[in-house]
Amino acid sequence: MTTALNHYLEIIRTNLRIDLAEGKEVISELETHIEDRLQELKESGLSEEEAEKTCLRLLGSAKIIARQIYEAHSQGSWQQALLAALPHLLFSALFALNWWHHAGWLSFILVLLVGTSIYGWWHGKPTWVFPWLGYSLIPVAAFGLVLLYLPREWSLLTIPFYFLFALWWIFCLVVQTTKRDWLLSSLMLLPMPIVIGWFLTLVPGAKITAETLERMDYFAPWIAVSFLILALTIAAFIRLRQRWLRIGLLIISGLLTLTIVVYFVGGKLSTETFAGLILVMWGLFLVPPLMEWFFRKTKRILQRYALFTPPHR
Amino acid sequence: MVQKRELIKGSSDSLLLCLFAQQPMYGYQIIKELEKRSQGYFKFKEGTLYPALHRLENAGLIEGKWHMLPNGRPRRYYHITAKGHATLSTERVQWQDFISAVNMILQPAED
Repeated sequence: MTTALNHYLEIIRTNLRIDLAEGKEVISELETHIEDRLQELKESGLSEEEAEKTCLRLLGSAKIIARQIYEAHSQGSWQQALLAALPHLLFSALFALNWWHHAGWLSFILVLLVGTSIYGWWHGKPTWVFPWLGYSLIPVAAFGLVLLYLPREWSLLTIPFYFLFALWWIFCLVVQTTKRDWLLSSLMLLPMPIVIGWFLTLVPGAKITAETLERMDYFAPWIAVSFLILALTIAAFIRLRQRWLRIGLLIISGLLTLTIVVYFVGGKLSTETFAGLILVMWGLFLVPPLMEWFFRKTKRILQRYALFTPPHR
Repeated sequence: MVQKRELIKGSSDSLLLCLFAQQPMYGYQIIKELEKRSQGYFKFKEGTLYPALHRLENAGLIEGKWHMLPNGRPRRYYHITAKGHATLSTERVQWQDFISAVNMILQPAED
């Protein structure tokens, strides 16, 4: 196949943003179609160049095709929507029903989070698994909290290593997810500013005390509401087909939930902190697309380099 | 031109199901068959056929299966499912009712 046709298929491949195996099938199907069409055009008397131009014209815009295929694949079933919303619903129930007092419930939810995330990650990374993956970062954060309770010298020694490990873990997860679709990274990281917001409110000194538990009891209904909003957002995200609607939904829901956090905290979270959280949220929405842009640029440079490098003999 | 495109868009799922009800087909064959049977009326950007096929497949109305040709080239044949047959039957009735109603209006009124 010629460079122009390969470029055409490359545009479709990079804009598909669907499951990798399904994406390969789509490209293979289009390749066969192009080969059939080229053969017929050449048999009708056209030159190689004319056949290629006609073929591209007959196929139509690569970006439109990729977008339409994305929309054909993007909508999940109601079961998938429920499965994706489940971690948020569990966290909502944890606070609405005061389960957070019981170590049994906490352990059960923790095991469920990690187990479901691992299962989904190794079974084709379906869209519903990404909200679960976001929550699987909570055990990493909880481990960091435990380190604060170590003797001072040990804390100072272990925390820098822990931060490096935590950042590496988040980075790996975001990179892997962004390679498929940056929007899924944003979906995965959506609860982060909300969790950070509540954490700053409830545990201002970063150490859990009796006062922290009292505050948690007081704010539990509002924490439950914020996670419920996230659950509804995720369910709607899974059911929506259009990409721009999905992006808009995540932004509006993130802002709405943050506003709820600030409003109900009643002065305990300052305007500066709120502005900081908004910045973190924008970071979460901007970093994944920037990463995707960087990966694509690097790939293009490498491909160009490979074209001009003579093959090894 | 826009009206024709809208008409084709609105009827594309029924047309595809109708073709698959007769025999399993692959993408390029569908384009040729539609063009031939409609005497060139149904002509559209060929790439846009595939999103329609994937949409029908995700709805469970058709199923695609890969076949390896003797020359080693893979081809994806689509065939209609039981759900697709049921949907087609309903859509056929709706189309016939629609065509009869349009004809009744288009025909000159008898005195």
